[in-house]
Amino acid sequence: MARTRSKPAIKDPVPASTSAATAALPPSALDPPKLFILPTGASPAARIVTLPNPVTASPTRYFFCPKTGFYEFTKIAAPKKVSRSWLLAPHKAAEDRLHKITNSPEEVSQQGAGNSDKHDSAENIIDTPLISKGYITKSADLFVATPLDLMFLILPALSPISSVSKESQKQLFLSLDDYLDALSASSPHLKQLLLNSKLQDKISRRMAAICDIVDAGDEKMYRLSQRKLLAALLSKAERMAKEGLPTSMEEKFVRSVLEIPIMSVRREESELGSAPQTGPIPVGEGEEATEDKSQSATQSFGTATPVTTTGDSQSPITSSSTVSSLVTPTLPEVALSKPPSTAPEGILHLLRIRTILTFIFSSYIPPHLHKQLQALLQDTKSPDFAPLDAHLSHIASMHSQVQALRSLSDNISRKRGFEGDDEAAEARAEKKRMKEEEEKRKKNESKAVKQLKKVDTTGMKKLSAFFVKVGSKK
Amino acid sequence: MLEARLEQANLLKKVVDAIKDLVQDCNFDCNDSGIALQAMDNSHVALVSMMLKSESFSPFRCDRNIALGINLTSLTKVLRCAQNEDILTLKAEDAPDVVNLVFESAESDRLSEYDIKLMDIDQEHLGIPETEYGAVIKMPSAEFQRICRDLIALSESVSIECSKEGVKFACQGDIGSGSVTLRSHTNVDKPELNVEIDLTEPVALTFSLKYLVNFCKASGLSGQVKLCLSNEVPLLVEYALSNNSYLRFYLAPKIGDEE
Repeated sequence: MARTRSKPAIKDPVPASTSAATAALPPSALDPPKLFILPTGASPAARIVTLPNPVTASPTRYFFCPKTGFYEFTKIAAPKKVSRSWLLAPHKAAEDRLHKITNSPEEVSQQGAGNSDKHDSAENIIDTPLISKGYITKSADLFVATPLDLMFLILPALSPISSVSKESQKQLFLSLDDYLDALSASSPHLKQLLLNSKLQDKISRRMAAICDIVDAGDEKMYRLSQRKLLAALLSKAERMAKEGLPTSMEEKFVRSVLEIPIMSVRREESELGSAPQTGPIPVGEGEEATEDKSQSATQSFGTATPVTTTGDSQSPITSSSTVSSLVTPTLPEVALSKPPSTAPEGILHLLRIRTILTFIFSSYIPPHLHKQLQALLQDTKSPDFAPLDAHLSHIASMHSQVQALRSLSDNISRKRGFEGDDEAAEARAEKKRMKEEEEKRKKNESKAVKQLKKVDTTGMKKLSAFFVKVGSKK
Repeated sequence: MLEARLEQANLLKKVVDAIKDLVQDCNFDCNDSGIALQAMDNSHVALVSMMLKSESFSPFRCDRNIALGINLTSLTKVLRCAQNEDILTLKAEDAPDVVNLVFESAESDRLSEYDIKLMDIDQEHLGIPETEYGAVIKMPSAEFQRICRDLIALSESVSIECSKEGVKFACQGDIGSGSVTLRSHTNVDKPELNVEIDLTEPVALTFSLKYLVNFCKASGLSGQVKLCLSNEVPLLVEYALSNNSYLRFYLAPKIGDEE
């Protein structure tokens, strides 16, 4: 997820650049307008602010609304190869209130009536010829503001890097004001924002969720508790997993990881063939049971997925659980010996949780905390990742088995498969011919000639150094 | 077309035998003056140059210049089928695919005929200038062969030093050193045993004995061998044949790392 790198913070980027936009065939604007989708109902005091990124500590832009809190920007862009642009067309409703317009019509159309607040706030900018007459932006980037937990922003202040470097030493309990001082020192923008007492309240509430607290007289003292932090993260992960992962993440980190190598197809056939003779009843029952389970799991996933997610995001879930339910009958002996390794619904869920945690860690948690949190995560029993690890190692071993099998038995057929490339085949044939010729030459070589090749000719110049070439006689 | 009749197959057998251990394939360039051959070994440090003048054949006919690219191993195989005293006839078309060899036995009426497939050989041809050598040594070819064979037992290379005292073949190896010195010597009864040393300046050069031993395989072609040396110039070993024909070998000297 690309973080935004938009131009210097202005409350709303559109009005600032409108003048450049309408000149007749001007040189393309140096600082073209950018499209934002801002949250509905943001208060007029909402600002785009520059704060240090919790992970990299580099200045990053966030959207801050005193009422609803912080939002981060997510850049949605077409791949570089695909040339796309935004055509900002005048919106009818927007034209009607031309004097009021501050947002691009695109935004108006996407957000509907939600941003009336902003219109008011920007009402004083009337003189500019408006972008709503139509405008094309070169890059088809869209910045979407998505809510961001305040907790992540205050994490760097709660656990400065220095606190981790001195390992054994316990971090001190500090008052809220101390933390606020640290925060405002990190960014001038934040300093301004912290003057708002509402935000201070919010911060103290979020801190309470992830900190150990002691009362010192009338003041509360806070210290970051990694256990609490992890619990908070886990609950976030649980919530996200329940909603279902975005399709691309599901595909890449969950489905492909759990994919069982093709080998199982052949094994399935052999199993079916041999089943009647070996008294298949217990195995068969086990199969059905697991299949039922996974089916119900699929269903529950299906119902759990909220309406907002598209049909796309459901399909991988369904197919992945069908994949794993297909797997169960193919490996009955494994299933009997290691029942947890084929419990797909639990595994799926665990893997999702782990994927989400990895994502959260890499996007929001300061790197120096990773090690300790990972260690804590290992110890924790509430989501026990042991079955997942077992299952993953099982899949890995199957992969290596298949690899070994392929290199043994599939060798020939795979070679044939490669030969589809005509050019390569030709080159190979040529090479073979050359090699054969060379071999033939070698066979024809007399023994003495071969021995002469071994003679040490160091210090002997080639005869062409003495005699002049006169061109090869035909 | 080419048609060359050689009274004794022996000559070609010996020539090919002498060359075949040095080069693998080579072009026999035929023109109206005779059949010539020039080829280098794989390392390009030795060169063999053969000239069989048309006078050596009876009759000799060559209408056009023809290059016969022949694998010498194959030619040796075919030539083994000829007796030494057989009459050998080489025949080829103007743009030949094969060279035809006919062996006629003078005693019996045996006539054998062989075709050898020709090859296209890309060989660079070196122009060899007439050189005034600092030292020219003529000696019995058997003597030269013996010296080379004796010294190769000790070392891979031999230094040939020509001075007023004579010519000294010396070598130094792991087991020790050895040298053979020859002086000018005239044998009235057997002129083929003469040793002549014609010296205009002292010469000292080192050569690979393996190659020299290889050259000596031509000893059967001629009673005498001529060694021509000059500093910093390839050694010429020439076996003179009748009718101004010759078989010459050139060998680059070892320069730099003296052993």
